[in-house]
Amino acid sequence: MENSTFDRRQFLCRAGAVGLAGLSLAQPALAATDIAEGYGVLVDTTECIGCRKCEYACAKSNELSDLPLEGFEDRSVFNEPRRMTADAYTVVNRYDDTAHPERPTFIKVQCMHCLKPACASACLVGALRPQSNGAVTYDPWKCMGCRYCMVACPFQVPAYEYDHALTPKVSKCSFCFERVSKGGKAPACVDICPPMCLTFAKRSELLTLAREKVKAHPEQYLDHVYGEHELGGTSWLYLTSRPVTELGLMEFGEKPIPEYTEPLQHGIFKHGVPPMLLFGLLAVATKTFHHKEDE
Amino acid sequence: MSVPSHPVSLRRGLLTPGVAVLSCIALTGLVVAVYRFVFGLGAVTNLTNQYPWGLWIGVDVASGVALAAGGFTSAAVAHVFHRRKYEVLVRPALLTAMLGYTFAVIGLMADLGRYYNIWHPLLPSMWQGNSVLFEVAMCVTIYLNVLYIEFMPIVCERFIGRVGLPGPLRLLNGPIDVMLRIARGTLSKIMFLFIAGGVVLSCMHQSSLGSLLLIAPYKMSPLWYTPIMPLMFLLSAFAAGFAMVVFESLLASWTFGRKPEMPVLFAYSRFVAVFLGVYGVARISDLMIREAWGAAFAGDAASYMFLAEIGLGIALPLAMLFSTRVRRTPAGLLTASSLVVFGVLLNRINVFLVAFKPPYAKAPYFPSVPEILVTVGLVAGLVLAYRVCVTVFPVLPVEEHATDEAAETVQQRCPVQAESYVS
Amino acid sequence: MFHKVRLTIILLALALCAPAFQGRADSGGASMSQKADTGGDCSPCHRTSSPSMDDLLPNSQCRRPRAHENLREDDAAVPDVVTMGQLTDIYVPVVFPHGLHAKMEAIGNGCSACHHHGEEGKIVSCRTCHTESTDPGNLRQPGLKGAYHRQCLACHREWSHDTACIFCHAKRGALGEAASKPDPTDITGKLHPNVTVPEKKVYPTEEQEAGSMVTFHHKDHVDLFGKRCVDCHQKENCSRCHDSAGPQKHVRQDSHEDCVKCHDTSDNCAKCHKDHEEGPFDHDKSTLFMLKEFHKQVACKQCHTEGKFAIGKKSCKDCHAPDWFSKAPKEFDHAKAGLVFSEAHKDNECEACHPNGLGEAPDCTACHDDKAYPKDLPGQRVPEAPEAADGNK
Repeated sequence: MENSTFDRRQFLCRAGAVGLAGLSLAQPALAATDIAEGYGVLVDTTECIGCRKCEYACAKSNELSDLPLEGFEDRSVFNEPRRMTADAYTVVNRYDDTAHPERPTFIKVQCMHCLKPACASACLVGALRPQSNGAVTYDPWKCMGCRYCMVACPFQVPAYEYDHALTPKVSKCSFCFERVSKGGKAPACVDICPPMCLTFAKRSELLTLAREKVKAHPEQYLDHVYGEHELGGTSWLYLTSRPVTELGLMEFGEKPIPEYTEPLQHGIFKHGVPPMLLFGLLAVATKTFHHKEDE
Repeated sequence: MSVPSHPVSLRRGLLTPGVAVLSCIALTGLVVAVYRFVFGLGAVTNLTNQYPWGLWIGVDVASGVALAAGGFTSAAVAHVFHRRKYEVLVRPALLTAMLGYTFAVIGLMADLGRYYNIWHPLLPSMWQGNSVLFEVAMCVTIYLNVLYIEFMPIVCERFIGRVGLPGPLRLLNGPIDVMLRIARGTLSKIMFLFIAGGVVLSCMHQSSLGSLLLIAPYKMSPLWYTPIMPLMFLLSAFAAGFAMVVFESLLASWTFGRKPEMPVLFAYSRFVAVFLGVYGVARISDLMIREAWGAAFAGDAASYMFLAEIGLGIALPLAMLFSTRVRRTPAGLLTASSLVVFGVLLNRINVFLVAFKPPYAKAPYFPSVPEILVTVGLVAGLVLAYRVCVTVFPVLPVEEHATDEAAETVQQRCPVQAESYVS
Repeated sequence: MFHKVRLTIILLALALCAPAFQGRADSGGASMSQKADTGGDCSPCHRTSSPSMDDLLPNSQCRRPRAHENLREDDAAVPDVVTMGQLTDIYVPVVFPHGLHAKMEAIGNGCSACHHHGEEGKIVSCRTCHTESTDPGNLRQPGLKGAYHRQCLACHREWSHDTACIFCHAKRGALGEAASKPDPTDITGKLHPNVTVPEKKVYPTEEQEAGSMVTFHHKDHVDLFGKRCVDCHQKENCSRCHDSAGPQKHVRQDSHEDCVKCHDTSDNCAKCHKDHEEGPFDHDKSTLFMLKEFHKQVACKQCHTEGKFAIGKKSCKDCHAPDWFSKAPKEFDHAKAGLVFSEAHKDNECEACHPNGLGEAPDCTACHDDKAYPKDLPGQRVPEAPEAADGNK
């Protein structure tokens, strides 16, 4: 009796690669981004003047909009805080400072390119992936449009092409992946920024730079680099003069989002053992109770 | 208690006023769905970049899967633990589960932006094992097939010796009959594997549906967000599964003017009470431990939804089910079981739609009329499909005072006994 | 009548100065030590007809209080207009009115406000350090584009509340030329407008024994006392004046910081802190030396040669030749100098009261044991200043 059940389990173990075993196939965790090697951008929000050139360069570089330069010169858009949309991977918002009305703060937002991205952990087909250079990229051909990445993203970054009937895409900043990795150039927004408040470099160098800036100008910067530790760190880093919560950015803990689900998933379904154990127990129960009833 | 009579096909005309109304609702939903596929999600839904999941995911998929849990719970009781008196409930529950999952997938197709890529999770090159959704997708896919396999014996029973394809297709009658016989023979030997597998798969994905929103800790209301959300989903799926079988059996009896299976349902409703009780205790103690009670009385929409869920969906039916008097009357049992079903449905809606409070949202999400039409249409379609299936296939048990004709039919149509599943 | 004359002078000054400065801006690179071409008339800008390098006496209409001061050895090298055309793809080169900005450097933080990090005493252009392409090895130094923008915007973003690119940049047209010309009302290509000096300012202060109100006669400080703007206005922020949303309040670290440069504020609070608004400086009242028709014409510094007015008082002889008194003592009408003698003194010889010479202070001791000038007077002040006379009783 015991043997036969065991045999059946063995059989299923072998044949069931298609089925149960596959469920818990935790791929070796996605190649963890080498924090020291990845690139990043330091956004010095104290220097940003809200010219929206980054929006223009982004739209042009990613072919998101035919809007000419003039279309990005309208400053009335600042009256309402905006978010990324399907045709804007980055937007700049204005946050008035009651203490210094003459100097409002402008905050450029885009994908933060997390080192431990929630979207990539959520994506069931691996369409979103963290790359070794710091970018989190999206492959529309893999995507099935479930939008779980949008649910998962703590920064609420990905937008969706809801109006495309046939090939809608998740849209978000790609860190100009092609431009950077193949063209050897900085992202389009970094390139165009007139006051050069965006600095593109290795993330580790940017952190050193940010600390130097804070030390040299404590009157200009808060002693906090947003993105250094938030949610396990992001490739994009922000230096601000005001608390981030005043600037439309959310406060986060240091625990990376994937760690809210992945340990649990891998724990419950570790190598498929727990499900197979349950399966075995049920199979044994089936036989045992059946025989009992026969008796 | 005697072994219940064996199921037969419902001998009843399909064209009733109820069916006509349901058809209209389902057709409306279909028209809207077609519109969605032609003009895109943006044209029909109220989904935004902040609220990427709406009614279709919250109700069609998540709630649909939860309410289809009756398939595995009744199979476990009757076939794993061999409580044979409940076998009479297995086939309707199995049919409900099969249709529930099928319609959940149809609903999912409408919601997926690139629905034609729905098969992508099956490609090993795209497997992403860290994703909760990957596990859900795999489990649901496999379980859907398991459900079809579990239903195969009923198809065999109905058609072996009676494959009557008309016209030139007549030539296929023979081969199909042979194939059905082979299927019956094979399945009767290994069916227990599928039943056990079905239970395992269900436990996995029912709980994982609860893990889905664990990934949004900063967006969820503390009333629902707990690290043990997967456990909550599993426990509530058990409760919903058992309650759904009772609810659906009573509803079917009432609709088809049959006598309710009260003795069986009375006994079966114990399971509802037990699992609902465990679920309720888990919910309350979780809330106590996390000290999240405050939010329950905040006076906002979420707090009312929460109180409705706990009060009407757990506390009230639990109190009813603890009363034997209530459980003995069809009306009492129907009320209690429908409250449980309502409670779990509300829980899924709450978790996926109410508790989800994304940052930067300009207005809270509320489903659009077309979204509601598609969901209502899907439910109508499911009921219609159920109606067709019980007419075509031997699903519902024969009435105790069956006519001679019916008794005759039983002998003709049901040579395969339920025991053959596990022999 | 007097106001009409004043107004005429202002208008004249405007009319004469504007083309003069315009010419400078156009010629480019002209030396700052050049005088404004007003046809030999100094009055538009100076309060004296013969200003010297040591004694400029700029009036409140002077818009370049330090225009003639050689602040730097290579003053002639300060460019008037800088064309920034190194980074132009979307826009045409920017014409930067460097001279205009340089003129205001004195009340700002000096040249180093913009030319920062330079070698001591040496002014280098932005391009010397900030290269067109960013040096990835030195993230600390922004590229030229960043340097330009940050430098300009540090002030401009605050006072204009507008950081629109077209504020400075003319857009490049299809053929690469400017599609639009710079806005003529824009600051580019324009001279710094006249700085208007307020008549007076009344500051509420902390409660003092004598009152909590200080009256500051701003115009007098400029016109009468010869204070230059930069004497007080130093390290100013452009946005203090250039704020489109209205001038900002000047916040001083110490409210006395500007006053103490001349006034002793240590234990003389009641001198400035009063319970009422104080009238303007009145030489007659405050010094008992009435300025009549001739002395009124004389610049303060002619007599008060040192910066501080209490000291450095010249005697009459310093200006008037010694024989001026002996030549026409009989014609000298003392009433014109503000004093009507009492009956007892009316017929006195001049020398009786001025034994040390007619240009010297009187000495009463020859006749009186208990009187002394200026406490006691040998008569009455002329009626215009009855209070002063009362005060002597």
